[in-house]
Amino acid sequence: MRPFAYARAGDTPTALSLSGSKAAYFAGGTTLLDLMKLDVLRPERLVDINALKAEHGSIAADGSGLVLGGLARMSEAAEHPAIARHYPAIRDALVQAASAQLRNMASLAGNLLQRTRCLYFRDRSWHACNKRNPGSGCAAIHGVNRRLAVLGVSEHCIAHYPGDLAVALVALDASLDLVAPDGSTRTLPLEALHRPWGDTPHIETNLAPGELITAIRVPAAPWFRRSLYRKVRDRESYDFALASAAVALDLAPDGTVREARVGLGGLAARPWRAREAEDALRGQRLDEGSAAAAAQAAFAGAVTHGENAFKPELGRRTLVRALLDAAAMET
Amino acid sequence: MPTLIGQPTPRIDGRAKVTGRASYASDEPVANPAHAFLLTSFIARGRITGFDFAEAKAVPGVLDILTHESVGSEAKPPKQASGGPTTTTMEDDQVWHDGQIIGIVLADTYEAAREAGFRVRVHYAAETPAASFDAAGAERERRDDGEHQDYAIGDAEGALGAAEVTLQAAYATPTQHHNPIELFTTTCAWENGNLTIWEPSQFVYGLRANVAGQLGIPPERVRVISKFVGGAFGSKGGATARTAWIAVAARRLGRPVKLVATRDQGFTIATYRAETRHRIRLGATRDGRLTALVHEGTEVTSRPSRYNVSGNETTARLYACPNILTRVDIVHADRNTPGFMRAPPETPYMFALESAVDELAEKLRLDPIELRRRNDAKTDPVSGLPFAGRRLMACFDEGAARFGWADRNPRAGSMRDGEWLVGLGCASAVYETNIAACAARVSLRPNGTARVEVAGHDIGTGAYTVVAITAADRLGLDASVIDVAMGDTTLPAAPLAAGSSHTASLANAVAAACEMVRDRLARAATTRNAGPLAGRDPGTLRLVDSCLTAPDGVAEPLSDAVSRLSPGVVEAFAENIPDGAPPDAMGKLHAGTNPILRGYKRSDVAAYAFGAQFVEVRVHARTREIRVSRMLGAFAAGNIVNPIAAHSQYMGGMIWGLSAALLEKTELDDSAARYVNDNLSEYHIPVCADVRDVEVMMLPDDDDRANPLGIKGLGEIGIVGMNAAIANAVHHATGRRIRELPIRIEDLL
Amino acid sequence: MHTTMQTILRINGREARLDHDPRITLLDALRERLGLTGTKKGCDQGQCGACTVLIDGRRVLSCFSLVAAVEGEVTTIEGLSGEDGPLHPMQQAFLDRDAYQCGYCTPGQIMSAIACVTEGHAGSPDEIREYMSGNLCRCAAYPKIVEAVQQAAPHMRGETA
Repeated sequence: MRPFAYARAGDTPTALSLSGSKAAYFAGGTTLLDLMKLDVLRPERLVDINALKAEHGSIAADGSGLVLGGLARMSEAAEHPAIARHYPAIRDALVQAASAQLRNMASLAGNLLQRTRCLYFRDRSWHACNKRNPGSGCAAIHGVNRRLAVLGVSEHCIAHYPGDLAVALVALDASLDLVAPDGSTRTLPLEALHRPWGDTPHIETNLAPGELITAIRVPAAPWFRRSLYRKVRDRESYDFALASAAVALDLAPDGTVREARVGLGGLAARPWRAREAEDALRGQRLDEGSAAAAAQAAFAGAVTHGENAFKPELGRRTLVRALLDAAAMET
Repeated sequence: MPTLIGQPTPRIDGRAKVTGRASYASDEPVANPAHAFLLTSFIARGRITGFDFAEAKAVPGVLDILTHESVGSEAKPPKQASGGPTTTTMEDDQVWHDGQIIGIVLADTYEAAREAGFRVRVHYAAETPAASFDAAGAERERRDDGEHQDYAIGDAEGALGAAEVTLQAAYATPTQHHNPIELFTTTCAWENGNLTIWEPSQFVYGLRANVAGQLGIPPERVRVISKFVGGAFGSKGGATARTAWIAVAARRLGRPVKLVATRDQGFTIATYRAETRHRIRLGATRDGRLTALVHEGTEVTSRPSRYNVSGNETTARLYACPNILTRVDIVHADRNTPGFMRAPPETPYMFALESAVDELAEKLRLDPIELRRRNDAKTDPVSGLPFAGRRLMACFDEGAARFGWADRNPRAGSMRDGEWLVGLGCASAVYETNIAACAARVSLRPNGTARVEVAGHDIGTGAYTVVAITAADRLGLDASVIDVAMGDTTLPAAPLAAGSSHTASLANAVAAACEMVRDRLARAATTRNAGPLAGRDPGTLRLVDSCLTAPDGVAEPLSDAVSRLSPGVVEAFAENIPDGAPPDAMGKLHAGTNPILRGYKRSDVAAYAFGAQFVEVRVHARTREIRVSRMLGAFAAGNIVNPIAAHSQYMGGMIWGLSAALLEKTELDDSAARYVNDNLSEYHIPVCADVRDVEVMMLPDDDDRANPLGIKGLGEIGIVGMNAAIANAVHHATGRRIRELPIRIEDLL
Repeated sequence: MHTTMQTILRINGREARLDHDPRITLLDALRERLGLTGTKKGCDQGQCGACTVLIDGRRVLSCFSLVAAVEGEVTTIEGLSGEDGPLHPMQQAFLDRDAYQCGYCTPGQIMSAIACVTEGHAGSPDEIREYMSGNLCRCAAYPKIVEAVQQAAPHMRGETA
């Protein structure tokens, strides 16, 4: 770990004033300290924003939707009765993420910004990593890439987004409240938070330097209750997804899909919104055939690199399972 | 006479463990230590051409940076327990493998040492490495007979040609790392030319002799302390390079030095289980009698080492078969040297054989248990010697009844529970019965308490408690009043804690020392005039319930018996050299060599423990997650000293098998010959939620031909049949025969 | 840049004043500065749970906690019971059930298990298995850990004397 100055911000204006291109906000620390210990991240200043939880740590749900404070902890959201009752996909994603200890520590905003688990990115002994050393190449493309992405990848980077919560949120049209160092605020769709890797995989998000996620908003919609998150992994718990699917359905009484929302995790460069699958489902009666067609559409653009060649098939099966399970939910 | 051996006894070190007071090596307080951070190579083959330390040395708190340039001549490489020479580290500029130790940063704090380590630049002349079996540049050779042996019994090739039914299949197992939760740590301190090492170890005498040899100082000047070991599984058995370098560092600084290597460094600075490949050919009659068994293995090792496990020394001996052929090839690659990991020979080789037996059973349309019954060996097929107990089929019969094997529909893919395909599989387990020479000192006090000293090792096996139980049993005391000291080279010499030998080695030595105490008390009580036992035959007196007791019940309180001999304590020191072990076994032990007598190298019997393992797996019909819903192991492994710890050991071994079959694989980047998933998040071991019903059955197996106490040991056997039992169950659930581990979701899509 | 800062930690009912490098984690401070070596380092990367401690009763990983940022009362394994006094019901349950082998992960398991009960996640063996999955045990004492949590839970809830 490189040396840094530690500064504790008591409120949002102070936090913003302490930010900068060499600074990092410190909340749960579960990604930041991890990568600092590996010498992958080298911020010169840590701005401890935990005191901002008083301002940005609440969770509220009403008829218009759900508002999650950026500094609420994952465990707090997982245990929140309104989320458990009305947003099963969000709850499922939270309780299947990480461990109880990590969920007690990690903030929701920090969790959205979780970095890839690509082992070539995390290990400084690899020179070739376009994400860590721009322009150096990608050792993972021909390497150990079983867990890496098949959707949204480029020839420069196949790193995967490993998180769960963002996959559920991106399916549910979540947006972010942001505040910039100059005090200006804006709203950003979660789907636009992460950038496609393209030829700049070292630039991961569309956040401006020092911009802070203060809240996550999930608009109310008819499909929330019929929503779930299915996670397929090697271990039964405490494991990143090989494939996951967040699904929300609004079904007509005859089983026809009025509206569908589909997010995919463990398979893509960023929290993946599978709009092609949604389009394929709309107006169809949900059954094995239409679910399979939607899954086919979702992975039409998949690109594999050897070890991860199985992931489109696993992704399709995961999505079919999630869709059929969601259709069978009692709501 | 009731015996404490076999009575469930809570661990005597339990309270220390649940209160955080059990002192593991890196917990031991030392005054003002400097902290070490290892520099490891970023290439797998080549030479170091230079270092750039400017930035690193500018880090405040950095004391020194050691490399081959500064200290290369100050230590020699450690001697390996097996396989001959090994890779070097800081002796010179050569790089043998990725992650090799090439330097040590020393600083006042861990934070400074780590930062400086990141700031060192190393220049290399790199060559293209060979990562594993198929890489260009990997060198293949046939393993000579020596430590291990090939067998050619009868005419296996001829018998295969003539067989009514044959089966040929290839199997493979991956690279695996022990990953004990305790990291690899070393603390060294010098005082007046004497070195103290705190390091988690399965063999403190071995480490002492090794480091002394590496540094060129007498072993008497080295003390190794390892009171508690946070998991070992073989990884802490042999001396590794780091220890001597930390000693060198401490000597140069004139200050204790503490190293806590990082998790990823643990993958390359210690040993591991190398990947293996197998070709099995079986010939059988139509009614299921084996006529030929050929098991050929290939194993990876480092460039200089000939380490191999040759588990076909075991698979050749499991079933009655007149024609047997085995062979092992080793492949040298640019890798660190592998070493012992839980049931080193059997875990990979029994996966191959026991999968093949299941495949043969299917081909013969025979129940796999029935096939094993028809080939149950009455004598060792290799040596012709009788077994010191062989209850393999009893294990199958009792295990099968308990597990509900009879309810299994033999047709693959026929059993289902909702969305989950269900499969049941079984396999044999076998492990040799080993014992080693060991010394122990027992001190009996007049107040009826005792102390046992032996430089043994509790690596989680319950060894402290085994020693206490044995002494309590033989001294007629309660285990709770026995004070046990272990894990320190100032104590009487004990062997390597490995190969399921430690309980037998320790218990037989402690029993011998207790017998000396009893004998002295009995002689004094019978030959001196005063006392109720005067004139009795001393050989008939026993220590029972804190008394010295004659067969007719006449007894003398222990306090009187002890006081007669000494105002303080009665002490005895015993060296136990097992029958059949070399007479210089104790000398070897002091020289750091493990004087083990292997169950298959004896001239009187073939000594083995046996077991039958049963598994129920569930495979999701759509997404193919594989989960183990039930495991049952039935074992006949000699006399059990402490059923509580034995149960935990068996259970742990079985879960290790679950892990090996379904989760563990060290992923190797072929181009760089580098371990990629060198952490506990991506190198998977099971979590709590992966483990459901685990049942252990311990069958009686009392055979004193194994050793005087009839202890066979059981730390290894729990894992032995699991790989195959799971693969067989997955086949039963899905119809897919997976011959390469681990079995993963993608294998079943 | 080599700054030192001062933090007052509250640990097991006592205050400890530390002059420290901002980089030091709670785990390293406990082990290397404060002599509280019951908390173990197993990965230093948030992957094993051996360093689990309670802060204001919530289980967290001390390897990912900066001393500078710690707020609240820290409880470590050493804070659960006195030298020779009665054990915490969870410690006693681990001892009774042989819910360990090498013992290295045990302090983290026990701290995590206590929180598992107080969080209300010890309702069934399945729930315990899930909520104890953040603590790796390489010796694989898991079934006995589940039993231990089941044994201790009613005692902790005051349901048994």
